[in-house]
Amino acid sequence: MSNADAALTVDVEQTHPMPLAGSLRCEPGELLALVGPSGAGKTSMMRVLAGLMRPERGHVSVGGEVWCDTARGVFLPPQRRHVGLVFQNYALMPHLSALHNVALSLLHLPRLGRLAQARHWLDHVGLTPDQQDRRPATLSGGQQQRVAVARALAREPKLLLLDEPFSAVDQMSRQGLYRLLADLRRELSIPIVLVTHDLNEARMLADRLAVMDAGEVLQQGHPAQIHRAPRNARVADLVGIHNRFHGQWLGPAEQPGWGLLRWVAEGGDGIEGPLLRVRDKGKLPVGQAVNWVIPGDGIRLLTQAPQGPGEFRATVTEARHLGEITLATLTLTEVGGAKLLLTLSGPQRQELGMGVRVGVRLDANLVHVMPLRPS
Amino acid sequence: MDWQALILSLELAAATLLVLLPVGLWLGRWLAYTGFAGKSWIEAMVVLPLVLPPTVLGYYLLVSLGGASPVGRWMADTFGVRLTFNFLGLLIASIVFNIPFLVQPVQRAFEAIPRNLGEAAAVSGLSVWQTFWRIELPLAWPGVLSAMVLTFVHTLGEFGVVLMIGGSIPGETKTIAISIYDRVQSFDFTGAHQMALLLLVFSLVAVGASFFASARLAVRR
Repeated sequence: MSNADAALTVDVEQTHPMPLAGSLRCEPGELLALVGPSGAGKTSMMRVLAGLMRPERGHVSVGGEVWCDTARGVFLPPQRRHVGLVFQNYALMPHLSALHNVALSLLHLPRLGRLAQARHWLDHVGLTPDQQDRRPATLSGGQQQRVAVARALAREPKLLLLDEPFSAVDQMSRQGLYRLLADLRRELSIPIVLVTHDLNEARMLADRLAVMDAGEVLQQGHPAQIHRAPRNARVADLVGIHNRFHGQWLGPAEQPGWGLLRWVAEGGDGIEGPLLRVRDKGKLPVGQAVNWVIPGDGIRLLTQAPQGPGEFRATVTEARHLGEITLATLTLTEVGGAKLLLTLSGPQRQELGMGVRVGVRLDANLVHVMPLRPS
Repeated sequence: MDWQALILSLELAAATLLVLLPVGLWLGRWLAYTGFAGKSWIEAMVVLPLVLPPTVLGYYLLVSLGGASPVGRWMADTFGVRLTFNFLGLLIASIVFNIPFLVQPVQRAFEAIPRNLGEAAAVSGLSVWQTFWRIELPLAWPGVLSAMVLTFVHTLGEFGVVLMIGGSIPGETKTIAISIYDRVQSFDFTGAHQMALLLLVFSLVAVGASFFASARLAVRR
């Protein structure tokens, strides 16, 4: 089987019982993170993949096998899918030892082989023999999580699904589980889908991100790419881009590949905002009202007074020093009090105090412009 | 001591349990796992024998199963079987009368099983049948056990329905509860006391032991 065949492809559309729409793709060995607020449809999407929910219309295929094709009336039940699913609250059987929980995935084997295989998987996720014979209630959250992972792996899955797997374990166990997941990704050449509401976790672990909201997949792609170029304002909000502003597109600048953007101050009626020269992809009509964003990487503090294009005077209106980093809010007086949020580390942050005047430069290369109506 | 009546009561209780248990497990599980428009009415029907006076239930059973009823006539014509004033009639009445005592605790026991366990079992490859035997029944077992004991003990003590549909035929429909009543009617208080005390102690011990066992099973989890 070629690698392309082993990929997960999903295409779902339904309005009932809850809206769910979107296409996903995850290559073998790749980790796709579904992110979005609660109620965004992440878990529903996962249930469709596992066969626990039948979509109104949809197509799911993994490893060249069609698991669901509503057009042809195909819907494999979970028993026939070979999915490893790690539930949010583990869903371990309380009356069975860790060992017998894992052995549940191996009922096709004779009893002795089943138990030996279950031990193998529990060893693999790092449970001691003593822990393997204990019931879930007597294990810590992190240990229970490992049992759940072992049970999913024992299924020899063609697709691994992780539903908020780290939400209920403490920070210490979480680090260990991240390492376990990294190891698994190296060993298993299957698509892995992770549901999480934690963006940092998603960015750290995932090769691809799919941003969901109100049942819809709004955008998917590499985390850095989504961060740099969110498709619309909602995606920008969901992936935690704080520096989002309004503007008006004034069309191409004299230099090819560049365009002019008028920064429209929030609530600053009548104030003519400054012009920014930014990248032009040639998609926007002149006069179009737009949202634009700039990632933290595109904001630089200046050591001398601002003078060039894209440089502004600002006042520090908030500086919160949190351990190794500082969260600062800069207010730009020239743009009707627009606020830039900045995360700083290193010596630069020592000079930031309330009321300090600074200069900032916005990197025109990293400004991303989106039409105001979500597309 | 009316040993014949005691043995008859034990036989009736065992037979009731034997027939009602599979039905009750199915019905209780179904009610626990499915939601539909008319569910409240089905649940109300399940509870009905608990709230109706036994004589009302016995009366309707007598009317609907008796020799003059369509069901009774059909049974008599087809199988040559009567459904009233014999052990079979008693058994049918006892089953109907015990539905709430078995089904309700079973339903509660299945409802208490987290739904995602069934889903985890399905994803792990377990069929519905395997899930029932390996996951659901062991987890619901304390509740099922209480339901079984309750049904058994309740059958031993049933009086009104049994009298209405079975009369008091020694060795056929005269259960221990009716025997106690007969003794009191004939002023044999010693005999009545012996049997009443036996029933009291047995019921207390059985229900107490089942509660104890349920609690132990629940703690071990």
